[in-house]
Amino acid sequence: MALSGFEGFEKRLELHFFGDDPFHYLGLRSLDFDQCINQTLQAVQCTVVSAVGNSFFDAYVLSESSLFVYPTKIIIKTCGTTQLLKSIQPLIFYADTQLGLTLRSCRYTRGSFIFPSSQPFPHTSFKDEVSYLEDTLPPTLHNRKASIMPSNSSSHAWHVFTATYYQQPHKPYTLEICMTDLDPILARKFFRPRNDGKTGDSAGKEMTEFTGIDQINQEALICDFAFDPCGYSMNAMHGEWYSTIHVTPEDGYSYASFECVGSTINGMEIDVPHVFRKVIQIFRPGTMSVSITSAGGDLRRTVASAVEAMGFKRRSCAMDEFPEAGSVVFQTFTAIRRKKKEVN
Amino acid sequence: MAEEGVVIGCHSVDEWKDQLKKAEDSNKLVVVDFTASWCGPCRFIAPIVAEFAKKFTNVAFLKVDVDELKTVAEEWGIEAMPTFLFIKQGKLVDKVVGAKKDELQSTITKHVAAAA
Repeated sequence: MALSGFEGFEKRLELHFFGDDPFHYLGLRSLDFDQCINQTLQAVQCTVVSAVGNSFFDAYVLSESSLFVYPTKIIIKTCGTTQLLKSIQPLIFYADTQLGLTLRSCRYTRGSFIFPSSQPFPHTSFKDEVSYLEDTLPPTLHNRKASIMPSNSSSHAWHVFTATYYQQPHKPYTLEICMTDLDPILARKFFRPRNDGKTGDSAGKEMTEFTGIDQINQEALICDFAFDPCGYSMNAMHGEWYSTIHVTPEDGYSYASFECVGSTINGMEIDVPHVFRKVIQIFRPGTMSVSITSAGGDLRRTVASAVEAMGFKRRSCAMDEFPEAGSVVFQTFTAIRRKKKEVN
Repeated sequence: MAEEGVVIGCHSVDEWKDQLKKAEDSNKLVVVDFTASWCGPCRFIAPIVAEFAKKFTNVAFLKVDVDELKTVAEEWGIEAMPTFLFIKQGKLVDKVVGAKKDELQSTITKHVAAAA
């Protein structure tokens, strides 16, 4: 294990705002890019690398992960040593002054940092993060809870903080997969050859095809990027659905994440076993954690079966309820490594 | 109206057809930025496209709002924004989907070099 390296584990923030829901309502998408979005990203210390939008939302690949802007919802996911929580104040301010939108709920989640001492304030500890959130969020979001959901390993927990005015019905669920100890041969596919003369965009497209990432959802439009000398990010969009993958391939602290949204309502159903099969084939991690929000009990079992079918053993399963914010199920798995023969 | 070095907005189907014809007559590469007023990524890349228009003066840069010219957007199969179409002699020669600065630049360079 390296003494210090790039922190792959992301911090994730999801903000929901009140807004009217007529068809084709723009809401947050109409925030001025330079004045609002760019300024907010500067506070977090990351920049836009590439972006694409469809009729439902805008997706940005950032220097340190991703940003999704829907009419009444923003999702920011950043890795490394970014100060993600510093985006809250500017976003609340711009949404209010530019659009008259008020915050309805906030959800902050993250795994456990591989290099926790490298994190800047307020990410120095979960306690500091919760303190910052409590101070920054408006008091109208009075249903609050902070929880550290355990696994069987003390170095691997799932941190959740929710603050809600009241629960939104029929929300889609979010699946967050964190993988470490990636198969080194597979991880090598996320390194760029020296002086390949390609742009990050075209090298990213090649990685997407070469690794089979484009097979996860063949109908989705992918916006991808390959960093120099290594690293990869992508956002995929299909109607209202999104998924996002980020890879830190370096040996010693290799990490990959896969996140997507899903629903039991038409248009956003996902083939959970298929998704897990593909993701595991692409990365073959030694350890995998899966967090599912607001899903019924069935999904937890579907996920566990899908992962175990790919040669993993479930090590832990924790569940917690959040006031007016649904539930979270956190499961961890480790690969069953056979000494003589590699599991295919 | 100065036509070199700027992105020309097409606000009617006739204007669109005119601009395409002009470029075809002068054997120019056309780069079309299909954009939407409600699309953040389009606004992100707009200044960069303007820079390219200044730099690549022998290329015709056009801009089409997909809501304003719905039929044109449908005709060319535009689904996500921004979409950049590369048209030569009335035919589609390349496409970049998304606000990708480096990809856009290298694609323009590739087609400009091919014409030389």
